Amino acid sequence: MSIMEYNGGSVVAMVGKDCVAIASDLRLGNQALGISSNFQKIFPVTDRIYVGLPGLATDLSTLRERFRFRVNMYTIKEEREIEPETFARLVSSTLYEHRFGPYFIEPVIAGLSKTPSGGVEPFIAATDLIGCLNFAKDFVVAGTASAKIFGVAEGLWEPNLEPEDLFETISQTLMNAVDRDAFSGWGCMVHVITKDRVITRTLKARMD
Amino acid sequence: MLDMHSVPQQQPQGRQFNPYTENGGTILAIAGADFSVIAGDTRQSEGYSIQTRYAPKVFRLTDKAVLAVNGFAADGNMFVKKVRQRLEWYRHAHAKDMPIRAIARLIQTMLYARRFFPYYVYNILGGIEEDGTGAVYSFDPVGSYERETCRAAGAAQSLVQPFLDNQIYFKNQTPAAGTSFPSHLPLSTVLSLVIDSFTSATERHIEVGDGLEMYVVLARESTALQGVEGIGGVQEITMTEEGHRVFVIRRELKKD
Amino acid sequence: MANANGGAYSYSLTVFSPSGKLVQIEHALAAVSQGTTSLGIKASNGIVIATEKKSSSILVDDSMLDKVAVVCPNIGIVYSGMGPDFRVLIAKARKSAQAYWKMYGEYPPTRVLTQEIAAVMQEATQSGGVRPYGVSLLVAGWDITRGPTLYQVDPSGSFWAWKASAIGKNMVNAKTFLEKRYNDDISLEDAIHTALLTLKEGFEGQMTEKTIEIGVVTVPTTAELEGRQIGDRPKPTFRKLSEEEVRDYLAL
Repeated sequence: MSIMEYNGGSVVAMVGKDCVAIASDLRLGNQALGISSNFQKIFPVTDRIYVGLPGLATDLSTLRERFRFRVNMYTIKEEREIEPETFARLVSSTLYEHRFGPYFIEPVIAGLSKTPSGGVEPFIAATDLIGCLNFAKDFVVAGTASAKIFGVAEGLWEPNLEPEDLFETISQTLMNAVDRDAFSGWGCMVHVITKDRVITRTLKARMD
Repeated sequence: MLDMHSVPQQQPQGRQFNPYTENGGTILAIAGADFSVIAGDTRQSEGYSIQTRYAPKVFRLTDKAVLAVNGFAADGNMFVKKVRQRLEWYRHAHAKDMPIRAIARLIQTMLYARRFFPYYVYNILGGIEEDGTGAVYSFDPVGSYERETCRAAGAAQSLVQPFLDNQIYFKNQTPAAGTSFPSHLPLSTVLSLVIDSFTSATERHIEVGDGLEMYVVLARESTALQGVEGIGGVQEITMTEEGHRVFVIRRELKKD
Repeated sequence: MANANGGAYSYSLTVFSPSGKLVQIEHALAAVSQGTTSLGIKASNGIVIATEKKSSSILVDDSMLDKVAVVCPNIGIVYSGMGPDFRVLIAKARKSAQAYWKMYGEYPPTRVLTQEIAAVMQEATQSGGVRPYGVSLLVAGWDITRGPTLYQVDPSGSFWAWKASAIGKNMVNAKTFLEKRYNDDISLEDAIHTALLTLKEGFEGQMTEKTIEIGVVTVPTTAELEGRQIGDRPKPTFRKLSEEEVRDYLAL
């Protein structure tokens, strides 16, 4: 049994035109047994950064608190908000600190970076459970349905999607992928991060 | 006295011959209203090595039935050979080609006959039913089967099948008010989806790539070809004069 | 402090005198004010830090002497006071910058690094068995949030941001001089000349490329910053001027 399959769950993030989206399923399981259909795996880090933490649920809570702690310390010490890339590096170092006894979480990061000229730039990244960073230009996936999400995303995603189109793309990608995964599903939650606001929607999906 | 310690102890040693291997690749079939598309990539691999960039996995059985085999290539080739032999016997006995419904049942029987030393092969049979409709039958290695509208199997099944659920069955989509989704798609759409599926699978799966072979089986008087005249590299391989037609379309896939 | 030896509150323990002073720190400041003059000026498009380099004998190979130190690609430090103490602090600062890089994939902002150094210096005023560092520092750097910034850190661990400051032997005169010369839209080139002019005021002996050290912070253009890709090494924004460059500035 894979440790990722103990609680199940999947996360995906995609880049759009001046926006990013991050989405996850809502299932919490105990192997084949479903426990909760309202288990969030994505959390805000700042107004413009979200992190998804699929994997072992107990490590999810621990890591979530660890990141909260470290980001708060950063914000206070440096008197500034953390940038998505910096946060991704922080995630990576935090995980690598436990190289030989890792947290069983594969984080996905989505956010908007500030550019030196005052604009925003979409940013996504994912790491493995020991913090190896993957800065992708299109989409990143993690969790028990990762192969399925890759397959659908590769077919549906296109560059420069507007927020509403990106929402549709990420929603369809995730829903169809998790419908073929026994360990993911039971509803989905999607966040689309734009310059002005974050659109959060809960999706009704197959509950079997 | 014999020095007991100098005699090497005879330890029992277990040796096992593993008769199976997995040769990668992916196959896929989609049924239309009066046609069927059966496709497969042509890469054959063992572990991280590519054995050949051109090893067909899709075979014309009759003018109305095409079989795609995926899994252990040696078993697959032998299985196709045996099916073809049975189909030839059938022709000699009945002076006609076996209907696809019967081929499907034959394949089940042949697979289940080897229940305890199975052909390590996933089969997808595509073609035209006796009523002229497009058909796809999919099998597991021991003969469990069903008729479907579409099916992917092999190394990239997990990548392709949910994409097909979405694009063929319109899963998780709602039709606009007062409309409904079509139960069958036109040939041009189907071919585009097949090509997209394989380019996607090639992009993300190391065992998929090199070449793509798409077999198109048309029912008698099918007009499915209208609207796909632009497609290049089409080769007709029809054998009989019965009216069913079989075409093969070959495409390159990325080789990395 | 009336006594020449500092009285009962001046020994190894840093303890408060009844009047609320930490005499060890005041002694450390005295050590600083015996050190050679260093100064820093923030210009509109960068920062200059400069110092006088004095060797005790003509036999010393002064090309090996370094008073302006690069901590990381965006930050440099100059000091007045005790050389050995400075080197210890620089080693700690460099380690701190690299630790920050390991954690965040970028070098620390000037303010954060200054805070780290100040914390180290403060600890020496409150720990047993140690003495305060006998140096004042001028920390100059550039970062994306605050742009070019110049900080001064004292042996007590207190630090301030300056537009221009001087430390060491002639700091009072030098500061008065800088106050007269400084304006907000001074260019980096002009600042370098002002720095040399200020040093000249209290200089003993000949000002040459051998006896002057200069470090500059430059501000990258927006185009340079926009072109940056993930994984690129940051372009250095702090550098020391070579002897040739110093000679050219002195000649003007």
